[in-house]
Amino acid sequence: MKSRYGLLSSLTAIVLFIVLETLSIVLVVKGGVVQQFKVLGAVRSVESWFWARTGKITYYFNYKSENDRLSAENLQLRQQLSRYAAAQAELDSVVRFVEPPFTYIGATVIRNSVDRQHNYLILDRGAKEGVEPGMGVVTARGVVGIVSAVSRHYAYVLSLLNTEQSVSAKLAGSGSFGPLTWPGTEPDKAVLQEIPVHIQAAPGDTVYTSGYSTIYPPDIPIGSVAGSKISQGSSQELTVRLFEDFRSLHSVYIVANNHRQELEELHE
Amino acid sequence: MNKVEYILYFVLVFILQLVLSDYVHPGPWVYLCLIPLLILHIPLSRSPHVVMLAAFGLGLGLDILSDGVPGLNAFAAVLAAAPRKFFYRLLVNADRQDKTEVPRIRETGLVKYLKYLSAITAIYLAAYIAVDCISFRPAGFILLKFLASWAASTALALLLTLPIQNRS
Repeated sequence: MKSRYGLLSSLTAIVLFIVLETLSIVLVVKGGVVQQFKVLGAVRSVESWFWARTGKITYYFNYKSENDRLSAENLQLRQQLSRYAAAQAELDSVVRFVEPPFTYIGATVIRNSVDRQHNYLILDRGAKEGVEPGMGVVTARGVVGIVSAVSRHYAYVLSLLNTEQSVSAKLAGSGSFGPLTWPGTEPDKAVLQEIPVHIQAAPGDTVYTSGYSTIYPPDIPIGSVAGSKISQGSSQELTVRLFEDFRSLHSVYIVANNHRQELEELHE
Repeated sequence: MNKVEYILYFVLVFILQLVLSDYVHPGPWVYLCLIPLLILHIPLSRSPHVVMLAAFGLGLGLDILSDGVPGLNAFAAVLAAAPRKFFYRLLVNADRQDKTEVPRIRETGLVKYLKYLSAITAIYLAAYIAVDCISFRPAGFILLKFLASWAASTALALLLTLPIQNRS
């Protein structure tokens, strides 16, 4: 009787082991961070509220460097604006007003990870401000990621520092383009793939967004070439040193493509 | 160690694990995990069913609260919890006389305890790193990450075990 009970106990333990491990693997495969954010929306709302407050404390200690960075960015944008204003004045007489293809929503990073395989950010802008999944997130110094899920007040962003993300990018000069991915080791380096071997890329050459997607505007500087190697004999892999320091991200812009629906309908 | 102290210890180590996961970033090469330590502190008299369910709960709780991939820590924790008693008998108490509820260094000796702790930690990390990194990370990276994480996690767990070693 005792041995029968022991056998039954062992069998149920094995079944339980298989069930728990299968359940875990199903969660890993199906889950991912996006579903976690959606399913646990209520928990996330409370946590986001908390992070928003703790983030302010951290930000306080980074005020100076952040101010310097924003001042430099502001100056650059003002110079651009004045050039555009002058050009606009000349064009106004001959060209009718055209809706800009992209509009921007300013946001603050309240949560950020850089040392995982699947890094993410949480921004303090959500559906209430018009943020939608699929929108890009950028700064003046590069691409940050893609909005993956939104709650009413917060947006969950899959970081560029995510081994499953890729951005269409091009090389300055030649215009040769390919997918830019993060290999998962250093937060300041990415890899631009599928560049033909005959393209000469010198260290220091700038890499920009190609604009061949509905997510990011073209010509946002991403980084500079730091090295290259031949991949599979037919193309080059360029190591790109990212301009944006993901460890100190604070102010970002969410990019809304006003023509996205139209472009996607055409694509289908 | 009475029941309240025991629960408090569990909660504190789990909170420390959350803090490590969320705020301590030693880089992509090291993953610090304390769940194996908690698995070791589940009394030996508990059935494998209870141990596996507790390990699953701890792992999934960590996945959810620290924004990990859901199921990743849970998978590793169940895999480490299942052979716990086998490793205890193999490495600590070969005569199968399970007189103790929670193994202590003063009863087992440091070497045996360390072997037991590092074996459970190794299983946990091997499962975690394999599922997290396999197919898109080079083998060298995986091996280095495993070794660095193993050494760091075992050392940290041992450090956290010491304060409760002298408590009855």
